[in-house]
Amino acid sequence: MRRTLSLIVMLVLAGAVAGAQTVVTVAAGAVGQELELTRAAAERYMKLHPDVTVNVLETPDLSDNRLGLYLQMFEAKSSDVDVFQIDVIWPGDLAEHFVDLYDYGARDVAKEHFPAIIENNTVDGRLIGVPWFTDAGLLYYRTDLLEKYGFSGPPTTWAELTDMAKTIQDGERAAGNPDFWGFVWQGNSYEGLTCDALEWVASYGGGSIVSPDGTITINNDKAIAAIDEAASWVGTISPNGVTSFGEEEARNMWQAGNAAFMRNWPYAYSLGNADDSVIKGKFDVNPLPAGPGGKPAATLGGWQLAVSKYSKNPAAAADVALFLASYDEQKIRAVEGSLNPTIMALYQDPDVLAAVPFFGSLYDVFTNAVARPSTATAPDYAAVSRAFYSAVHSVLTGQATAADAVAEIEADVEDITGFPTGQP
Amino acid sequence: MQDAPEAPTPPAALPLDGEGGGGRGRPKKNGVSRLMRLERRTAYLLLLPTFLVLAVIAAYPFGQVVYSSLTDAKFASSQPTSFVGLDNYRTLFAMTIRRLPPKLDESGAPVLVDGKVRYESAVSVLPRSPRRYRQVFQFGLLGHRYVLGAVSADFVRAVWDTVVFTVVAVALETILGMIIALTLSSEFRGRGAMRAAMLVPWAVITVVSARIWEWMLQPTRAGLFNALGSYLGLSEGRTDFFGNPTLQLPSMIMMDVWKTTPFMALLLLAGLATIPAEYAEAAKVDGAGPLRRFFRITLPLLTPTLAVALIFRTLDSLRVFDIFQVVLGNQRYSMASFAQDMLISRRDMGLSSAASVTIFVIIFVFALLYVRSMKVDT
Repeated sequence: MRRTLSLIVMLVLAGAVAGAQTVVTVAAGAVGQELELTRAAAERYMKLHPDVTVNVLETPDLSDNRLGLYLQMFEAKSSDVDVFQIDVIWPGDLAEHFVDLYDYGARDVAKEHFPAIIENNTVDGRLIGVPWFTDAGLLYYRTDLLEKYGFSGPPTTWAELTDMAKTIQDGERAAGNPDFWGFVWQGNSYEGLTCDALEWVASYGGGSIVSPDGTITINNDKAIAAIDEAASWVGTISPNGVTSFGEEEARNMWQAGNAAFMRNWPYAYSLGNADDSVIKGKFDVNPLPAGPGGKPAATLGGWQLAVSKYSKNPAAAADVALFLASYDEQKIRAVEGSLNPTIMALYQDPDVLAAVPFFGSLYDVFTNAVARPSTATAPDYAAVSRAFYSAVHSVLTGQATAADAVAEIEADVEDITGFPTGQP
Repeated sequence: MQDAPEAPTPPAALPLDGEGGGGRGRPKKNGVSRLMRLERRTAYLLLLPTFLVLAVIAAYPFGQVVYSSLTDAKFASSQPTSFVGLDNYRTLFAMTIRRLPPKLDESGAPVLVDGKVRYESAVSVLPRSPRRYRQVFQFGLLGHRYVLGAVSADFVRAVWDTVVFTVVAVALETILGMIIALTLSSEFRGRGAMRAAMLVPWAVITVVSARIWEWMLQPTRAGLFNALGSYLGLSEGRTDFFGNPTLQLPSMIMMDVWKTTPFMALLLLAGLATIPAEYAEAAKVDGAGPLRRFFRITLPLLTPTLAVALIFRTLDSLRVFDIFQVVLGNQRYSMASFAQDMLISRRDMGLSSAASVTIFVIIFVFALLYVRSMKVDT
């Protein structure tokens, strides 16, 4: 009897203590080292604020699957998750589910971040997400292999890349590595393909699917040529399986030393230079190649932290979000994870530049990245993107010609948005 | 079934079914005695909690889905919803067949490439407004080429793929399950351990086993199948099981058969256990070979179990979602993963609900066909 009583008293006390704790749940990504970095940041926050418990919830790798998870929570108006890691393309579609961070003290920090990203995250004057890290597509290349086969530097056009990749691939296969491929990228039927394909199309001068002023520009010869060229890589310099590659599949092949070139986001840089990596010190990054007569293009990526409208502790959640996106935290993520900061001053920080030199040398790539037409097509960007990537995917798998696919995309986007068509 | 020997008639006890006056002497009302009506009422009362639970868990959500399929609701959005009637169903099922004219050059003669006539692309021929029709597939008939177009081409393809997947997978599972069940019903050493080990594929969570299969079927030599193929000289080790459209469904079928054959085997094993051994022995004495014994005695007696097992598996296969979603994602849809994609990428809850109701109707039709054809006593 006495044991039961003391047990009940202990449980009640535990409940009381837990009740005094504010619990903030952060839904964060787990691509590469993201999850470990976020958990470490949460630990640092909890040390500074002992009355707050920060739980980090792991979310799916593929952007579309993450969106599916989030939408389910919004439909149920669930208060399970307070802070969401949202993609740079989602503010327009999901604005109604997040609070205005300007109400929670973001006004002071907003000017530290890149104005373009803050503008991207502002819908109807409400700042719905604080920028956390930005992203742009980069070309990773093996410096040792380029030297071995007598190339003076990384390719500046897609044609050059194709030639170099073929030479290196043939050479490495003959030297006894039958699993070697020239170029790996993201070709699965998901948002990542929109990023890659937008880079090909924009670098040919073919526009960005829908122009910022709301004209559908995808149906042009340059876009067709760009997609045709990419389809020619599948099975020749890229594995047939590239049509089911996401970011991690491409990185796994690259990091095992089985690819000469890779298109991926900056996060793969620090992972490639980890102590247990086969390619440590043997690679570098460059802007992506350009099409004939075009300029190199990198798709703007990046993730923001948004506070849910249905959260029980929006003030605490906003505090956590602003902490995670603060100068010091972004510096740690830049140095340890090569995740691009969104705070402009960090690009002059000597520690950051020492750890990730290309943040300085490729600064222009990040500031001039091509944005996907999420703002122009809001709130239907997800449907527009789906129309684009499924059509491009059908060209990559050989089920449709690029000309047909591009006409389909134009018709589909017209259906979804009602925008007029035009030339880029 | 052979009739059991007649049971001895019970002694004349209380007239429970109202026949005859017996000791009570009370007349029966509507052919049903008071006691029987009491029993029936008690039965309904005892079943009432079950009906309530069913209503809440099954009937209410189903009713919600049917209602939302008649609206243009948007998922996770505060947009106002309006009633649109059967519009969503029209979107799902609107189909048309158009003839594809051959490509003509300036003089009006058909363009020949490698000796074959080239045809106009489907996009130019299919109607674009008020609704856009997309190509499902092209076919040739009587020297002309036609294209089947549908407003929801993905859905039409998904229905076809799911039905093909179901038919082939269930057939394979039944045959393999039968073989396994027959093997396990005979006595041999380690039979108990085999029966336990057999259930492992069924016990593993589908998402986990789908990921394992994804790893094994990787399109490079890092995957088991490609590694074996290249080691044995069968292939170059670059077969893309999930990207190559011809190999997608067979891969899915292989994964599903691996997972659910144990289930079929288990059900059929239970059915085999109910067949008295005397029949097989009698047939052996009469000189029937094993095949004859199987087809004339075992199979007919197994029909009720087989019917139940088939209904279970067919209904499950028609609803397949996890393996298509995890492995194929947006590359190829089953009916259920199409409904999910409509919900997430198009945020079209109305259309997604209509697709779900369609799945229900298709499953219902299949279930009815089974019950009728196998004369299952319901």
